[in-house]
Amino acid sequence: MLLKLLPHFLSWAGIVLVLLRAFPARRPVCAALGSAGFAAGVAAVCFLLRAFPGDLAFGIFRGMMGGSLLLLWFVSVVAVYRSTTRDFAAPRGGGVTDGPAFAGACSIAAGVLAGAVCACRVSGGGPGSLPFLLLVPAAAALAFALLPLEARLPGSLTLSRTALVAPVVALLLFSSSSLLRLDLFAPLSMKVMKFAHDFVHQFMESMLFPDHFFIRSYLWGYIGLLFGEGVGFWGALVIWFTPVALVLLALQLERLPSVAHIRQGARRRKLLATALGERRRRLVIPLLSLAVFGGAAYQSRYPSVEYWDPKPLAVAATPAGEIVIPKKGDVDLQDGRLHKYLYKQGAKEARFFVLMGPSGHFTVDLDACAICKPDGYGQAEGTVICYYCKTLIPLETVGRAGGCNPVPINFTEKEDGIHLDALALINEWGNTVQTTTKVKEGGK
Amino acid sequence: MATIETTGLTRSYGDICALKPIDLSVPEGEWLSVMGHSGSGKSTLMNLVGGLDRPSAGSLKVGGEDLLALSEDGLARFRREYVGIIFQQHHLVPYLSSLENVMLAQYFHSVPDEAEARSALERVGLGHRLKNRPGELSGGEQQRVCIARAIINSPKLLLGDEPTGNLDSKSTVMVMELLRELRAEEKFTVIMVTHNEDVAAWGDRTIYLSDGVLVREERLGIS
Repeated sequence: MLLKLLPHFLSWAGIVLVLLRAFPARRPVCAALGSAGFAAGVAAVCFLLRAFPGDLAFGIFRGMMGGSLLLLWFVSVVAVYRSTTRDFAAPRGGGVTDGPAFAGACSIAAGVLAGAVCACRVSGGGPGSLPFLLLVPAAAALAFALLPLEARLPGSLTLSRTALVAPVVALLLFSSSSLLRLDLFAPLSMKVMKFAHDFVHQFMESMLFPDHFFIRSYLWGYIGLLFGEGVGFWGALVIWFTPVALVLLALQLERLPSVAHIRQGARRRKLLATALGERRRRLVIPLLSLAVFGGAAYQSRYPSVEYWDPKPLAVAATPAGEIVIPKKGDVDLQDGRLHKYLYKQGAKEARFFVLMGPSGHFTVDLDACAICKPDGYGQAEGTVICYYCKTLIPLETVGRAGGCNPVPINFTEKEDGIHLDALALINEWGNTVQTTTKVKEGGK
Repeated sequence: MATIETTGLTRSYGDICALKPIDLSVPEGEWLSVMGHSGSGKSTLMNLVGGLDRPSAGSLKVGGEDLLALSEDGLARFRREYVGIIFQQHHLVPYLSSLENVMLAQYFHSVPDEAEARSALERVGLGHRLKNRPGELSGGEQQRVCIARAIINSPKLLLGDEPTGNLDSKSTVMVMELLRELRAEEKFTVIMVTHNEDVAAWGDRTIYLSDGVLVREERLGIS
């Protein structure tokens, strides 16, 4: 557990250092309020997990992570606008960002999210409250231990208010991306991929190309690229990195102080060089946060989580056309894990799995959804994941039709095991999966 | 107010004492000529005062800054911002034009400014030689590029190590007149190491070194 918490505490340490550097006049306040926020985040997770078992608590915090990314987008766009607009008038109360309230609010907000992520990680470790309670003093101790360390960092490494959000959000996303249920990048990739898919589809419809009568097959090969996983991945990368790039651009475009009135050339150049040097050094932390964003995307793309993904067992149908899977046989169907099977009927085949959910009821589903290429599902941390689009489906909702959920199959639970109709299984696979396979493989 | 204050300033290289304890005070804006035979310690004194070398003993304050207390970085900053140096051998970068040579000094000081470098070369009478490389210039012209390079960062102290040693008498007079005009405008302090009595006579005061010892001092300048 300690090893699992390491990246989260490293992120927390990074957040504290960033806050201390951004508000040098209020360092103890930042450490104290950041720790208080951390405690509040942990408490919120404890409460929500107990009050709303399932995916809701995770959904709320995932939404908050998404909100922080949106905030970064907003700040970066405003920053670029401010640095490129000559007659930009600072809004009233522009000095608010220098006040103690702003420093405190930033510290609390960052602390809440960091604490929530840590608590979500701990929540997988067991039902006890002790790990949650230990998190808070550990985080506070770390925050206050960093005070003298931060004072030793080079003074030239400054952080402007414009750039403050970038490293904080980067570190939060890095921390959350190691948790499947809080990760943002994978769902973002999926959304982009689905958006591209739907857009192309709607475009074809609106252009009166309902089918491929006019379009030669090789052209579908190219159009098929827009339905691929790469579109989602690269699109998400653009959404992921652009705000930090905009922050860097805004810093680079920041106006230098006017030196035209200084008569002596050397002094004028010296002032200019000093201003340029300061501006260059202000880029360092946002550049580092770009690397942290990259790390978050990498963690999401190549998670260290090991999925439970058993090799499908071959099953045969009875003469009556029924597939029977015993509850206790080579495998124990009641162990809460998904168990995959492969049924072949002549040249046709269908892959499916049986799972006993948290409610204690069985569900039988195709090892594929109605949307993606049938790469199948794995199971980890209270979810199953679609290998193709990386969508997480909470175990509670496996068995419901729609979206990226595995396609449910009708079955009967009897004393001896799970009974399902072989022909219906083959037909369901053929109807819902084979069609999408053709499209995904670019071949109409 | 004295620009340079030394007390017991000494520089030894192993057993050899190149500069024996010297007490020297140079007021702000003075032109001091340093004379002596080869090996008398003239260049050693100039190197110490310019922050190019560190003394073995004694105290050395230049412009109120205690050079012994400065770190290597501090000394580099001091040289960059406080001192301009003109060498006998010019030390211009051969593959850069006159203009680029001057801009190089600006670059190491702060940021290059072509218009200002151009103006500095025009001030030393080389407005028509901006694009020429050192090899395409006469000795006197090269030395004037050196002067432009030395003054471009508005130093408070200008050091000359035999700046006219390679020049004929006509070019020597031209360079010395130029230095006198610039000093009048910029008010910098000059320390000029020379073998030449005529060149030394352009200063306000001349000191004579022999075997690292200050043996004589004259106040005979014509400027």
